[in-house]
Amino acid sequence: MKLNVPMPLRLVLLVLGTTGFYMYLGQMVPQKEFHPPPPVLINAEMTTEDLVVVGAELANGKGQCLVGCHTIGQSGPMRFPDLDGIGARAATQVDGLSDLEYLAQSLYEPAAFIVPGFADGMQAINQPPINLSDDEIKAVIAWLQSLGGTPNVTLDTDLGY
Amino acid sequence: MTRNRILFGIGVLAFVSVIVTVRLGGFLVDNEYRQPDRQVAAQEELGEAELVPRQQGIADEQTADEAEARARPYEEAEYRTVPFVGSRVTVWVLAQLHLLFAAFVLAVPLFAFIIEFVGYVKKEERYNKLAYEFTKLLSVSFSMTATFGAFLTFALIILYPKFTNYLMHIFSPTFLPYVLLFFLEALFLYSYYYGWGKFGPKMHLFLGFMLNVVGTAIMFIANAWLTFMMSPGTRGADENGDGVPDFVSAVSESGALLSLRDAFFNYTWMPINIHRIIANVAFGGSIAAAYAAFRYLQAKTDEERAHFDWMGYVGNFVAIIAFLPLPFAGYYLAAEIYAFSQTLGIQMMGGSFSWLFVLQAALIGNLFLGANYYLWLGMGRMEGGVHFQRVIKWLLIAIALCFAVWATPRYAISSVSEIAAMGGSSHPQLSYLGQMSAKNTAVNILILSTYMSFLLYRRTGRQSIHPHRKLLTRAQAIVFSSAAALVIFYGVYGYYVDAATRIRFAIPQVYSVLAALVVITVIDLPLYRNASQAGETRWGKIPAVSQYALIFIALSFTWLMGLMGYVRSGLRQEWHVYGVILDTSPEAYTPTLGFATQVVSVTVLIFFGLIGVVFWLSSLGGKKDWEPRTATGGGKLEGGQAA
Repeated sequence: MKLNVPMPLRLVLLVLGTTGFYMYLGQMVPQKEFHPPPPVLINAEMTTEDLVVVGAELANGKGQCLVGCHTIGQSGPMRFPDLDGIGARAATQVDGLSDLEYLAQSLYEPAAFIVPGFADGMQAINQPPINLSDDEIKAVIAWLQSLGGTPNVTLDTDLGY
Repeated sequence: MTRNRILFGIGVLAFVSVIVTVRLGGFLVDNEYRQPDRQVAAQEELGEAELVPRQQGIADEQTADEAEARARPYEEAEYRTVPFVGSRVTVWVLAQLHLLFAAFVLAVPLFAFIIEFVGYVKKEERYNKLAYEFTKLLSVSFSMTATFGAFLTFALIILYPKFTNYLMHIFSPTFLPYVLLFFLEALFLYSYYYGWGKFGPKMHLFLGFMLNVVGTAIMFIANAWLTFMMSPGTRGADENGDGVPDFVSAVSESGALLSLRDAFFNYTWMPINIHRIIANVAFGGSIAAAYAAFRYLQAKTDEERAHFDWMGYVGNFVAIIAFLPLPFAGYYLAAEIYAFSQTLGIQMMGGSFSWLFVLQAALIGNLFLGANYYLWLGMGRMEGGVHFQRVIKWLLIAIALCFAVWATPRYAISSVSEIAAMGGSSHPQLSYLGQMSAKNTAVNILILSTYMSFLLYRRTGRQSIHPHRKLLTRAQAIVFSSAAALVIFYGVYGYYVDAATRIRFAIPQVYSVLAALVVITVIDLPLYRNASQAGETRWGKIPAVSQYALIFIALSFTWLMGLMGYVRSGLRQEWHVYGVILDTSPEAYTPTLGFATQVVSVTVLIFFGLIGVVFWLSSLGGKKDWEPRTATGGGKLEGGQAA
């Protein structure tokens, strides 16, 4: 039996059906709202261990280190260096720079030294859009030192920037 | 007769609705609480000046409100809200509707001018008529564009006053040229439309040319405003000699303007210009083809069907030809986003928006399938088309495979047990297809396959008489195969190199496909010049389903534009101007993709409702003039006299 649907109704059904189909597809993919990162409170009494915890929080949020850029413990082709063990090898990356100096330079002046095999692409972490404060950067350094090394940075440490 | 009755019924219903609404309003007002009549009468009788407690309460409230209003100091509002829908969705929908109409108004003159020019060179009147038919759609659309533009401006000033003021501070020198160009566009558009047949061909073509120049200039200025929000800086000199130009910010850290030139010619300005010109033509072509499909389905005579079938074919041809290079323009835009800020690029492709590109793949796949389906149906109206229709199934397989690869996500949405079975959130084998290497390969093969469809369509019912036709056809086949092989080679090799190198492989893939399209076209033009015809093209003899396919293509294009408009703007996340001016409103977050697709869908439905009005108004010109009704019912009467 052939249905005799009037042309205007067919057009309306086509418009609604197509739009509805694409909207349905949109509901099928993962649904997540992305809110601006909450402020991280750093106070003068924080110890190095406290800074490691805050630094990990910053790396996953406001600092955007682990949002598609760096990885921890992955192998294969990568966009930017894997951070596993960075706390241990930081002191040997650039001649004349201690681990603290090297990590500070990587965050404040990422273009100063590019790890062989990778391209320049990281933005200074104290500049917008990331815009971490000096204390927040110290927390990130403490977290980086904890990845295979021994954290020793405190809020009183002078990073030279 | 029935139609008149329906119209009369609708009119009566509308009239009754107005009366009922007015009466209902009156009833509600009349039933507002009032003090009892007896008490009023008693007060009047006694001449009492005292207010009853309710009146006193209202009067006190008014006095307190007035006192508060006077005491309150003037404050500049940073944001204002819209009840229920919110400020962001209001601006989002208005901006998208403005852009859709603007895209249409900019695109139609471009191909109307080209079609008119072809008609002038070929001395064929049918091209001239076709160009005029396209231009008919412009005047109402132009008004719609201006209306939504004004609406959007007011919405920005009211809802985001501080930020709008900031943008005005940065770009105020560009406003006067913009307004002057807009005035010129109106002048050229209306003289082009109303001057059809009133000027000589060269003069009329000049008007069309100027209309396009002015329209494009307007778009370039508006693009500077929006791209500045995404990338407020430009390339400078290579001071440290590392081969990468230094970034030069157009504004200071506080947002103060340092250089209008750098703000205008920012990183993403030219890529957006190019992307929009191409996308506008593709979108405009598809909407014009949808109009032709609408008229085809309404057509009463074979002559009308033949005309609108041809018009739909040309509109779709324009849309697909423009659509083929669009991914390349997209690559350029994406590369410039990465060049401006790796963080922004990573957010786009690997962060919060990565799933959006799976939806984009589904849309583009549908567009390619729809376009190829229409072409294959079109072969049926040409004598000698059966031969090529046999090849179609192989093309269909290639297109479907590419579509499947492109739409495969790297990470699957899975339950806990599925994740355990797969050993992670990505499928052990299929996740390879979700990587950039596979997707770039799929889209390039998709483009080559669609181009092959066009070639077959062009050859249907024609026989080349070129003396070197065998040699040239083989040369085309070699170029085509080489391009496909190169694309596949880089696609596979991409799995064995680092990410930075893999991204760069997109360039030879793109260039090989572009080169193949150009070389094959250059060979094809002389090869089929003056080709012998096996039979005539039977315009108007195509299944009606093909016309619905054209409307489906237009719908998919519109939805795709809405989706990509969202990602371009949403990419800034909580920034008004990326890295400079932070959005501190309660709506400064990125909504779920599901919510975004709902907004896009509503926008598309509003647009199609309005474009339906444009189609209807444009089709009125072809209808017979109104005449008074005759006494016999079939004819018409004038002043009560029989015709």
